[in-house]
Amino acid sequence: MKELTISSDAPGQKLFALGNEAIARGAIEAGVQVAAAYPGTPSSEIVGALAGVARELDMYVEWSTNEKVAFEVALGASICGVRAMSAMKHVGVNVAHDPLMTASHIGAKGGLVLVAADDPWAWSSQNEQDSRYVALQGYIPVLEPSSVQEAKDMVADAFALSEEFGQLFMLRSVTRISHGRGDIVLGELSRERRNGSFQKEPDRLAYVPRVARLNKPLMLERFRRIAEAADTLPYNRLEMRDKAGLGIIACGLSYSYTMEAVRWLGVEDEVSILKIGTPHPLPMKLILELLKSVREVLVVEELDPFVELHVKAVVGEHGIPVKVHGKDIVPAIGELSTRKVTEAIAGLTGKRFPVDFARLDRLEQEVAPLLPSRPPTLCPGCSHRASFRAINMAAQRVAKEYGEDVEPIYPGDIGCYTLALTPPQNAVDTCVCMGGSFGLANGMAHVMHAPIIAHLGDSTFFHSGIPPLINAVYNKANITMVVLDNSATAMTGFQPHPGTGQTATGDEAVSLKAEEVARACGVAFVEVADPRDLKAAAETIERAIRFPGPAVVVSRGPCAAIELREKRQAGEKIVPYYIDREKCNPKCDACIKLLGCPAIVKQQERKAIDAPLCTGCGLCAQVCPYKAIVEERSG
Amino acid sequence: MMKEFNILLAGVGGQGVILMSELLGRAAIADGLRIRGSEILGMAVRGGSVTSIIRIGDDVHGPLVPQGKCHILMGLEPSEALRHASYLAESGLVILNTTPVIPFTVSLGQSDYPALSQVLEKLSAIAGGVIKLDASKAAVEAGSPLTTNIVMLGALFGVELLPIKTSTIKETIQARFSPGLAPINIRAFDLGYEAAGKD
Repeated sequence: MKELTISSDAPGQKLFALGNEAIARGAIEAGVQVAAAYPGTPSSEIVGALAGVARELDMYVEWSTNEKVAFEVALGASICGVRAMSAMKHVGVNVAHDPLMTASHIGAKGGLVLVAADDPWAWSSQNEQDSRYVALQGYIPVLEPSSVQEAKDMVADAFALSEEFGQLFMLRSVTRISHGRGDIVLGELSRERRNGSFQKEPDRLAYVPRVARLNKPLMLERFRRIAEAADTLPYNRLEMRDKAGLGIIACGLSYSYTMEAVRWLGVEDEVSILKIGTPHPLPMKLILELLKSVREVLVVEELDPFVELHVKAVVGEHGIPVKVHGKDIVPAIGELSTRKVTEAIAGLTGKRFPVDFARLDRLEQEVAPLLPSRPPTLCPGCSHRASFRAINMAAQRVAKEYGEDVEPIYPGDIGCYTLALTPPQNAVDTCVCMGGSFGLANGMAHVMHAPIIAHLGDSTFFHSGIPPLINAVYNKANITMVVLDNSATAMTGFQPHPGTGQTATGDEAVSLKAEEVARACGVAFVEVADPRDLKAAAETIERAIRFPGPAVVVSRGPCAAIELREKRQAGEKIVPYYIDREKCNPKCDACIKLLGCPAIVKQQERKAIDAPLCTGCGLCAQVCPYKAIVEERSG
Repeated sequence: MMKEFNILLAGVGGQGVILMSELLGRAAIADGLRIRGSEILGMAVRGGSVTSIIRIGDDVHGPLVPQGKCHILMGLEPSEALRHASYLAESGLVILNTTPVIPFTVSLGQSDYPALSQVLEKLSAIAGGVIKLDASKAAVEAGSPLTTNIVMLGALFGVELLPIKTSTIKETIQARFSPGLAPINIRAFDLGYEAAGKD
């Protein structure tokens, strides 16, 4: 039997899919022709999956330089009448915010869908903002799935809805949808492929003030029509119980937790449930019907009180005698769970908890002191570890000259290298947003007397590192900007970017070099360092710090994960290092304290290299003062 | 038809936790079962704790195992099993790989790793039962240390509580690996299966 994939033409068959693959499948079923994204957890696998089948299905798929560009690519295609999608994480939506707000004035000719993947609990993000507020601001309708299956179905429908109402649609996913898994029933594949056609309509497409004024009422009218239709869309469903005193309005994934909680508590016949699949605009008729039938309502939704605010507004407007609960008893922080929803419903219905949650909390507290801390860390052999050692060495040498107590300042950025936040690197003093390291350094330079060494990765450099670099040149900010170039967007899954020589679909592409960009931008000090030659790299960075004015060092070494995979595939032998006990000073610990490599372990005062983990990078041999770390010889 | 069966897989980045859930998912579908789950990828993975959740049955809606409802906790590493012990149902079972993966924070002197006896004592007090095996050692025996996850998968089937047929998961493993690697993985599965039956 041929194995099913997201591109299989097998309607009715079941595929075990990651949520993001299901979203990609939905787009394929709708006949999406253009998809563009910048990778970001938890959204990356959507366009990743589409890229893998682009050729076979005659689609155009790209990794764009950033989310703003990605959304513009999709918008451009939609303007030409073709179905297009862009996918990004919640903070990526901020980057795309500018075109997004005007795109909603333009509307959609070819179906246009934006997937915004929120990250409650900020598992892999700098915050846990709620993308629905962006949609609110832009009159963008939002679909929010309760399951992986529904995510697929919604995306498949979203393109048709977008064309029917002539408006851009947002799908709000969350980590547990995007990185959820489930069986999905495959639908029919659309084989329609349109030729792009551009019609000159400046009154709809060219936003001078007059055109903005002309199109706002049209946008409002489109939104009003969608709001009217919301009550009839299949994603909103009212499940009424005759004697219910409590109504639950459950939005998106919260509906699945609610279903389990209600069953767990045995209150299926005592609560009416309104499942919400369109938080914006809300199905107001269904909401009113529920509100009028119960004494109390609980709104269950992940992150902010978005639906809750609208429900409270409608209660006030209609003077309905119903008490509305929401974030007073359901947490606004982090992910929801069956337990959290169960506790909220139990509180309102007076039911006992189905299990003794307090006992589980006590268990957790009891075992906590036994657990070792296991934070994520740079991989063994990671070239960033070497770069940070070189940065630390150079910066500390120079800082002393600024004054006894002066510490170097390290504005950091978003990527694997954010992991240098912890000891022993301690080299991320700030982490705000993509490109923020260079930007913040610009501001610090004008108020601080200390070496400022800002660093970001190669993909982040192309994403949003270039404007603050130009700013540093233009406004004479005396900062050192290090590009940690491992030729990969490693944290999100090794996607290619403008520096890797390859496109999303595997075609050959230009390979831009950060040093050439920096030179072209007028940076007077630009050098490339090999971080695996620690001493030389530290010297280069030191000269950069001493340089009066903005300086760029491109610290270029391979991503260990990619290098290891390639070596394994090529059958190349990986020669690990080992610690010569004769030479090793047991009191020293320099290798551990300076590098924090997971392959170097210490038990009962003895240090050793965990050979299967060691990639043979040799960095530890460079920092060992006793020359006790050596390459394992064959035989 | 099975109403609800919850499995939590707990391990460390690189141990192949995600592959285990993929194999379980495919096998469950092949046996006509309804399946849900989720995992944490990205920032949380680089050497950090990794969990994956597999839920089977008609009453399952959400992607997470409700705390207090986990039927089987698969600990690919002792401290990671203990970290998630509060998810166990009172009758829940722990299947534990006894080989630890020591985090670098221990080498740095920032935290301590518990003795295996302490972990076992706690797990036995919390769980309905603990089945322990040295899956890492068995994996080497099977032909590759990379098959620790498959040994554990074998152990999961060895306790004979799952609604998925053993023949189905073996077919799924066979199909997933290249002809060169499939026999090693089947051997790893069998070693785990037998070990779980014995303990």
